[in-house]
Amino acid sequence: MAAQEDHAAEVTGVVKSFGRQAALQGVSLRLRRGEVYGLLGPNGSGKTTLIRCLLGLVKPDAGSVRVLGRLMPDLNVLSRIGYMTQTAALYPDLTVLENLRFFAAINGAEAHLTEALRFVDLEDRPDSVVATLSGGMRTRASLACAIVHRPELLLLDEPTVGVDPQLRRRLWDQFREMADGGTTLLISSHVMDEAERCQRLGLIRFGRLLAEGTVEELKEQAGVEKLEDAFLQLSAGEPR
Amino acid sequence: MKPRRVLAITRRIFAQFRHDRRTLALLFVVPLVILSLLYYLLRGGGGQPAVGVVNLDNGPLGAVVARQLESSSQVKASQIDLTTAQSRLRDDRLAGYIVLPTNFSSDALQQGVLRPEVHLEGSQPAQSGTVLQALSQSLLAALGTLPSQPGLRPPRLDLRVTYLYGGPQLDTLDYFGGAFIGLVVFFLVFVITCVAFLRERSQGTLERLMASPLRRGEIVLGYMLGFTILALIQAAEVLLFSLYVLKVHNSGSVLLIFAFEALMALSAVNLGIFLSMFARTEFQAVQFIPLVVAPQLLLSGVIFPVSSEPTWLQAVSRALPLTYVVDGLRDVMLKGADLSWAAIQLDAAVLGGFCVLMIVAAGATLRRRVA
Repeated sequence: MAAQEDHAAEVTGVVKSFGRQAALQGVSLRLRRGEVYGLLGPNGSGKTTLIRCLLGLVKPDAGSVRVLGRLMPDLNVLSRIGYMTQTAALYPDLTVLENLRFFAAINGAEAHLTEALRFVDLEDRPDSVVATLSGGMRTRASLACAIVHRPELLLLDEPTVGVDPQLRRRLWDQFREMADGGTTLLISSHVMDEAERCQRLGLIRFGRLLAEGTVEELKEQAGVEKLEDAFLQLSAGEPR
Repeated sequence: MKPRRVLAITRRIFAQFRHDRRTLALLFVVPLVILSLLYYLLRGGGGQPAVGVVNLDNGPLGAVVARQLESSSQVKASQIDLTTAQSRLRDDRLAGYIVLPTNFSSDALQQGVLRPEVHLEGSQPAQSGTVLQALSQSLLAALGTLPSQPGLRPPRLDLRVTYLYGGPQLDTLDYFGGAFIGLVVFFLVFVITCVAFLRERSQGTLERLMASPLRRGEIVLGYMLGFTILALIQAAEVLLFSLYVLKVHNSGSVLLIFAFEALMALSAVNLGIFLSMFARTEFQAVQFIPLVVAPQLLLSGVIFPVSSEPTWLQAVSRALPLTYVVDGLRDVMLKGADLSWAAIQLDAAVLGGFCVLMIVAAGATLRRRVA
């Protein structure tokens, strides 16, 4: 049990198909507590399906998923997980604070509203209606809703898509800060340069985890200078 | 103005319809269904009110009038005895019965007065009117068969009408009012719930809800509570406006009417959640309106009494929740029914059952769509 608790999440041999479309073809990975793990892969490679498996929203055809020591799906463990969807899924006709309070309430933790607002720099906009916010602010509000219940594991599905460079940098600083505070983060992305800020990376393509390791390890493995080349090199020759 | 650009838009619209088979079906199938329903309702032959004729006349005229009534195309008349007539009127199987008293003939011939008694069910003004009309035509026709006696004045009519419920002061609004109180609330609540729940899915927040410790039942119940409270406020407003501003007739308990509206709001909310699972876009959700509204408007007895429908259509009507709402509300408002009436108990039980069914169905489809 102690060995399992070292890992925030353990995915073992997960297979999932949607009809004839194979989304995951035997993926295994472990998230260590307090690390920032980057799930790197092109669109349609299975990143979102893997995240949804971690949440228990998708039932694998084969294999198992354990999160925070519990076999998924398990509703009780969900209050310890934060999840930020690809698009800023918020109620557009509610204010930032009303959204935040709602997501805090359904997770049973309404104590840290202002803290969450401050963390994403929205403490001066709590009463703005979400529909009137810019895209960047909406992303930040969405992040606040994902962390307001202080999750131990945070799953972020392409959080920086459509975000300007300044905000992207700021977001990554915050991810780092959370990891330093003991939160485990899984961040999916198809942008190579920002992946360099992860402690460990998993390269996923066609529903398979092709390689895993630190940025340096991956570059070394592929024998190239740049992460992008490493990704292309390591995924080359993989059959469909 | 470039025709090419105009045509580009037109062509794109056709392409969209080609991809949206459901809309096409709606466009071409639903009108035929609705018109066919109207055909069966209006030409199905079930439209005549049932009338009992109790002929007690010692003379010959009563039998003639009874025969005339039986051959009338406006009503479905049959000769029965008095006790049967009275019990059938209470059971809602007769729109009314006509008694031709023992000295009907002698009064007509000696005093020149026709004294038929008419006992009407009374809650449906249109049916009552039809019965009275059929009677006066039959009387005229009966008089025409008498051998003409020169110098004899045609007898005058001394009609005695009693009403089981309501009375001559009951007008069309009184009859439709009760049903429409139900109808209006049902459809507004249904549409709003359906679209609101669909938005939950399309804006991605449902995914977030499913990734939280919320249980499916909690989501459905939370929705139900929210929209039901809103619906109840609306129902109270509609009810008070109808009763006290429009002065729609009510002989029953206002609380009981409200209880029926509450049950109906509950089923509308859950029907909305359930059906929203089968729509991908708000456009498709709006299409449920004619699908849900039109058949219920025609078949739930709002406009045409269910008892006047052909038998196979009555079976369909019995499957629609609004039928029971309309029936219950009319019984309460026009007949002064209370909870001790078996008909009211049945209506309430069916509506309650429908609510439970919809809650279970909504919960089950929520799982199917997310997993």
